[in-house]
Amino acid sequence: MDFRLQSRLALALLLCVGLGIAVMKTRAKPRGQAVAERARKLHFSSLVFDTHDDTTQRFLDGDFDISKRDPRGSIDIPRMKEGGLDAVFFAAWIPSKITGPEAVKRAIDQIDAVRQAVREHPKDLALATSAEEVRSAYKQGRIAVLIAIEGGHMIASDLGVLRTFAALGARYMTLTHSGNCEWADSSTDKAAHHGLTPFGKDVIREMNRLGMIVDISHVSDKTFADVLAVSKAPVFASHSSCRAICDAPRNMSDEMMRALAAKGGVIQINYHVGFLSQEFRNAEKAHPEWEKAITAEVQKRCGEREGCQLIEGDRITREYVERGDLPRVDWTKIVEHIDHAVKVAGIDHVGLGSDFDGANMPFGMEDVSKLPRITQALLERGYSEGDVKKILGENTLRLMEEVEKVSREIKGAE
Amino acid sequence: MRRVRAGLLVCFGAAALLLSQSATGDDIADRARKLHFSSIVLDTHDDTTQRFFTKTFDLGKRNPDGHIDIPRMREGGMNAIFFSIWIDGRIMGPPAVVKALDQIDAVHENVNKYSKDIVFCRTAEDVRRAHAQGKIAALMGVEGGHMIGNDIRVLRMFGDLGVRYMTLTHFYNDEWADSSTDKPAHNGLTDFGKEIVREMNRQGIMVDISHVSDKTFYDALEISKAPLIASHSSCRAICNHPRDMTDDMIKALAAKGGVIQINYEKSFIDQAYKDAQDKLSGGVVQLIDQVKKDCGDDGECMERKMAAMEKQAVAEGKLPHVSWERIIEHIDHVVKLVGPDHVGLGSDFDGATMPEGMDDCTHLPQITEALMRKGYSDADIRKILGENLLRVMEQNERVSRELRAAQ
Repeated sequence: MDFRLQSRLALALLLCVGLGIAVMKTRAKPRGQAVAERARKLHFSSLVFDTHDDTTQRFLDGDFDISKRDPRGSIDIPRMKEGGLDAVFFAAWIPSKITGPEAVKRAIDQIDAVRQAVREHPKDLALATSAEEVRSAYKQGRIAVLIAIEGGHMIASDLGVLRTFAALGARYMTLTHSGNCEWADSSTDKAAHHGLTPFGKDVIREMNRLGMIVDISHVSDKTFADVLAVSKAPVFASHSSCRAICDAPRNMSDEMMRALAAKGGVIQINYHVGFLSQEFRNAEKAHPEWEKAITAEVQKRCGEREGCQLIEGDRITREYVERGDLPRVDWTKIVEHIDHAVKVAGIDHVGLGSDFDGANMPFGMEDVSKLPRITQALLERGYSEGDVKKILGENTLRLMEEVEKVSREIKGAE
Repeated sequence: MRRVRAGLLVCFGAAALLLSQSATGDDIADRARKLHFSSIVLDTHDDTTQRFFTKTFDLGKRNPDGHIDIPRMREGGMNAIFFSIWIDGRIMGPPAVVKALDQIDAVHENVNKYSKDIVFCRTAEDVRRAHAQGKIAALMGVEGGHMIGNDIRVLRMFGDLGVRYMTLTHFYNDEWADSSTDKPAHNGLTDFGKEIVREMNRQGIMVDISHVSDKTFYDALEISKAPLIASHSSCRAICNHPRDMTDDMIKALAAKGGVIQINYEKSFIDQAYKDAQDKLSGGVVQLIDQVKKDCGDDGECMERKMAAMEKQAVAEGKLPHVSWERIIEHIDHVVKLVGPDHVGLGSDFDGATMPEGMDDCTHLPQITEALMRKGYSDADIRKILGENLLRVMEQNERVSRELRAAQ
């Protein structure tokens, strides 16, 4: 081959490659923008529902105004609007070691704090106690605020208190927190009741009657199995992720997810790095002294202010990541968990349960304003718009409606 | 002949007069019944709530004891009732909060159980609607500020659960207000107590000054932007009991639009009875304490025991008889003092010793008839039976709306 031919061929090849790259580039660029626009459009026209936020504690600290942008935490009205979050469960939570009347009174304080926040910002927030009220708030352009009880220890073994919480608007109760309660075992405590006690089963029946969603996040596997057997309504995991990706007791095994879905339930994916990433979890477990150091530092910075404790824990953990002690976990892990749960449990059984203001957020999901990324990532993975809407909120709303229907049936039969 | 005619005329005349008189008598009874059963008859204080926790009591059935149940309310034309949330004033803090929540829950549960007859109400409008539907209106009052656990958030949640008045104290001082039957500790209301009154105004929860010390009453009157109620107190001018109100207090209450709801308790309405009771047991608080020693926390046992002791003492002549007509005297005293707009009914049924002839709520029509016989107009009687209280409720609701709008 003579040089000229060679060079001509080479030139032609180069041209072809160049043209090809150029074509790819010009095609790729608008396509990327199209996804972003499509994602934004889809995200902001969907009802986006987050079933677990610990912002409640911050109301009680006394230095937090939800109506103002406050970079210390992950949630406030301006950033909820920016992130297109339309409905949020604020959790009433106290440590599981506090029990009895003291626990009840503190839960009442937190319920009041949420209700006061809504009262003080009626233009932006609306208290919702049913799927219909969530939809009606959404139509009015207000963020639906719902109340959750994170831990059965707060009812002090008293069904009257459970009913009172429901009367004040609580629409789900997590049966335990990180310690067992008087009538149910937690996933992070030594088994004491072999799942649910007979009274624990009465609690489930009463929640069914009241139309409160039974939340199986935090509970032991046996408690979960007992709940599925007793509950007449579908149940959910308000903030849990997948054990197949990150083997934490707080997460759900594939088998559990399938059983949950078979009864119409939903797993709401938690964004906590220790539940998302096995690598992070391993590093944490390898250095138990870091957790102690983090706890001590939190105590130093916050004292007894619980809202502060929750958000400072996240900040200090990030300092460990930045120093290279703990591995960096990116927000895309959330999407991996969603995708896994969809493959195992089905598209109708997955939702969002961030744990904002109560956990360590992955990079790129520092606060609620970043939520549209999830929509974009799901579209990029090839999810249909209808399926994305289900994950963003429709699955949770369907679950609420079913729980409400069961409640009406039980009350009607009385 | 003339004499005979004249005699006959006198005879006929007398007969006609007698006839017309007896006709008038029947007419009043009839008119009174009609008026009573077409009016909203609202009782602001009933301790029936405690009975929900017993095994025997059933709100929907006629019970052989006690003063209140749905069949007897129907019979007595009592169509609006404040169920009282009450625990001993010495229980405080979180345990008091939980016990109060349990009682609030019990009211809701029992009312829901008989939703064909009784409906839970939060506003004066709700009460009127229930009446229009032929249903009994159920409301709630918290009898004692100790139940909020010194926590304004708990007060607000009581409000959200439907509590429409709170008595600032019971028999004992609480953390922020003095009681009329305890040694003064706060000189009336503390600063926090004043904050509580302001929050009650914001939430539309009526401030109830029954049970509080005179100084607490005047403090509350000064602070409150809405009219106050005495949910179950009578007149000290007739029976000098610290639980009752002096004429000056009643005048001050009325001047601010408030209402005194007359309590039927024997020792609050009859001086001779009160004096004899004091001699016998040292007073009502001491009496309760004595019985409590035997019964502990069993409310049903206490009620039974107190009733038996009382009955025996009356039979033995150690306590005088008290007629239900004393209630009318108290109502009339208030009307003479401040007019017909500031008095109502706060029986204390199921929580007090009823005078003879007012054995339970079926006897309420007697009150209407007695007032009619005293010459009260229909409109004035309606006010006393319930309209005055509804007016105060509406004013409290308006003040609440105004305060919230100004925030």
